[in-house]
Amino acid sequence: MSRSSPILEARGVSRSFGAIQALDSIDVQIMPGEVHAVLGENGAGKSTLMNIFGGFLAPESGDVLVDSVPAPSGSPRAMRKLGVALVHQHFMLVPEFTVAENLALDQMSDLVGSLEMAEPLDKARRQAGDLGWEIDFDAMTRQLRVGEQQRVEILKALCTEAKIIILDEPTAVLSKDEISEFVRIVRALRDSGKTIVLIAHKLSEVFAMADYVTVLRGGRIVHSGPIGEQTDESLAQAMVGDPPALAQRSLVEAAGVLLRADEIEVKGDRGNLAVRSASLEVRSGEILGLGGVDGNGQIELGEALAGIRPASGVIERPKQIAYLPQDRHKDGLVLSMPLWENLLIGQLDSDLFAFGVLKRSAALHWAADVMDEYEVKAESVHAPARSLSGGNQQKVLAGRTLSQHPGVIIAVNPTRGLDVRAAAFVHDRLLQARQDGAAVLLISTDWDELAALADRTLFMSRGKLQQELLGDGK
Amino acid sequence: MKEALLVLAAGAGLALLLVLTLAAFGQDVGTSLRLLADGAFGDKYGIGRTAVRACPLILCALGLTVAWRAGMYNIGGEGQYLTGAVAGGFIYQVVSGVGPVVFHVVGLLGAAAAGAGLAWFAGWLEVKRGVQVVISTILMNFIVLKLVEWLVRGPLQEPNGLLPTSERLSREMMLARPDPQTDFHIGIWVVPIAILATWFWLYRTRAGFLNRAVGENQHAVRAAGQKPAHLRLRAMMISGALCGLAGGIDYMGWAGQISDGFSQEWGFIAIPVALLGALNPFGVAAAGVYFAALFAGSKELERFSQLDSSVVLVVQAAAVLGIVWAASWMKNRQQGGSE
Repeated sequence: MSRSSPILEARGVSRSFGAIQALDSIDVQIMPGEVHAVLGENGAGKSTLMNIFGGFLAPESGDVLVDSVPAPSGSPRAMRKLGVALVHQHFMLVPEFTVAENLALDQMSDLVGSLEMAEPLDKARRQAGDLGWEIDFDAMTRQLRVGEQQRVEILKALCTEAKIIILDEPTAVLSKDEISEFVRIVRALRDSGKTIVLIAHKLSEVFAMADYVTVLRGGRIVHSGPIGEQTDESLAQAMVGDPPALAQRSLVEAAGVLLRADEIEVKGDRGNLAVRSASLEVRSGEILGLGGVDGNGQIELGEALAGIRPASGVIERPKQIAYLPQDRHKDGLVLSMPLWENLLIGQLDSDLFAFGVLKRSAALHWAADVMDEYEVKAESVHAPARSLSGGNQQKVLAGRTLSQHPGVIIAVNPTRGLDVRAAAFVHDRLLQARQDGAAVLLISTDWDELAALADRTLFMSRGKLQQELLGDGK
Repeated sequence: MKEALLVLAAGAGLALLLVLTLAAFGQDVGTSLRLLADGAFGDKYGIGRTAVRACPLILCALGLTVAWRAGMYNIGGEGQYLTGAVAGGFIYQVVSGVGPVVFHVVGLLGAAAAGAGLAWFAGWLEVKRGVQVVISTILMNFIVLKLVEWLVRGPLQEPNGLLPTSERLSREMMLARPDPQTDFHIGIWVVPIAILATWFWLYRTRAGFLNRAVGENQHAVRAAGQKPAHLRLRAMMISGALCGLAGGIDYMGWAGQISDGFSQEWGFIAIPVALLGALNPFGVAAAGVYFAALFAGSKELERFSQLDSSVVLVVQAAAVLGIVWAASWMKNRQQGGSE
């Protein structure tokens, strides 16, 4: 297909952050009037590309062209003037302002003079009317539903006379109903002559909305073409590359119960009853899966079993328990501290301390060994945890918790946000622990992960353990 | 290597700031610097003057360092310092008859305990009641200040009941001075011990390691099975103990009595000292000596020019601004943005 003259174009754009090459000399052409999806896994370079298009980042080499004219790089103002508007994934709205005030704020051209509310509001009313949206412009922004806030963001873009609207992971925050509504919005915008760039990682939505798709992997373009020629499989393959072999699960005889909870109740952070009379048993040599939608008490249950959160009822567990938290940055690592100290956090009761005094050289040696064994790629044990990629950070956490060969392991969404290879590594380690006789409780929202790893799976909903699903007995 | 360069740059920056400030005040820079150096290190009197000022500055700044490292922004060094001195004053009333050694040991322990208690209360308010330490400690400073004004007119007043001060300690009851002509007293030997101990504690013990970790990310510490609230309360108690100890030492070794003017704001001035020392005990020691020397040297400056010690505060304020600016500049350069 011959593609005439692009409205927005990246030519040989490169950008790196420290040692990471986020974008490696890429060429993208966005045609007028199309919905152009940019697909890729976490860390593929999507956000970097989008921020370069929006003028929030300057490329190290290469050009951004609007209507075939090179645009000044690294200037959000200039890109806005040229008609490129960016809708961030995390909305840029002042929650304590009304919708009208937020729109006026965005239209302010300078910091002096009177506050002009009427004109931008008129414009926004017209735009909203054209799209058939009912928006209460006097409502406090924080009171709007997420989908409504997104519309306000889109209105902001339309009010700047944007020709090109870049949407960063727009569906990530939406509920299912809001997503189908959003698909209609994108189509309506395209029909009114706008060009849409859609940053996405969910295939189904790309198929529902896009005309053209560009796939990024590791900062390079691995595919670019009309959507019609593509299937789920071909795009998924392009996104992740060759899939590594599936984790192999060997037959292990489940033995004695290592972790038992009997009728326990756990309170959440806000004092709510997060877990209601839950009972479960995990045996040596088995992985018990715990599924369910986020926020149904799984994390509270996991924390209670790990002894981090108080619980009423009976919990029998060994003294040493390995807990692999779901949020690497929040609950796992101390990002500013060096790797060896991050590993040390899991060794507070080990013989790396004598009477509370650190044996420093022993600790450094031990940390280097763990990093070897868990294939952590880093400059040295002294590198701050912040400097590692997400996958390597998770390997640090896995090494910290699993290298002690704990009897009981509680892992919460251990592969969330990891690329396929890093996820496979973590899965292998969990299976290895099971093989070695550990009792593993795997809390995950990813059914594929549970199906691949768990011997049996419980389901959690509104704080109650629902039913026991038998594993496939592989 | 990189650290060494940073330290050199910081030292050069501080020297430059001093020169610029003197010039800005219209002083002859060469003469002023010589007067400052003479006043701070020129003879045994100067060295004594510097040491006796470095003592409260460094002890308080070490205390703040421990708390801040745990994420508890204790601004109450001044109040805890005064509380320590007051505790020493009360203990004197009780044990003065027993002799100096008992008074010194019990008095200093009591001073540390009193400072720790006050800081613990502020920590408890944050951990259990959500009142931020940065607010409560700064307010407690003023409460303690006013309390001292009342105490020296009430329970702590000297026996004759004439002056608003506590009873002056006799020479025997003061901490000994090897050379009575100088300010130097044996209490100052606590300072190097405290510097080394704080460093060892922070970087070589499990407790200190957790203290640093909880300040950087309390969630990770909690997920590792520790109790952040306990760690933070402990940090506040150590912090208050060091500040209180400073107050006790100054009472027994330098001032000899408690009065309205006992507070020379060492607990406040220790805040920028802790910051300039990059919350590292050795850095704190260097920053403490530098500013103590400036304060001591400015005594000499006062005699020969219009300037007084407030010029030191100008240098200090400029230095803190410079550090904050440099830190944010380096952070921007390191991160440069992220995906």
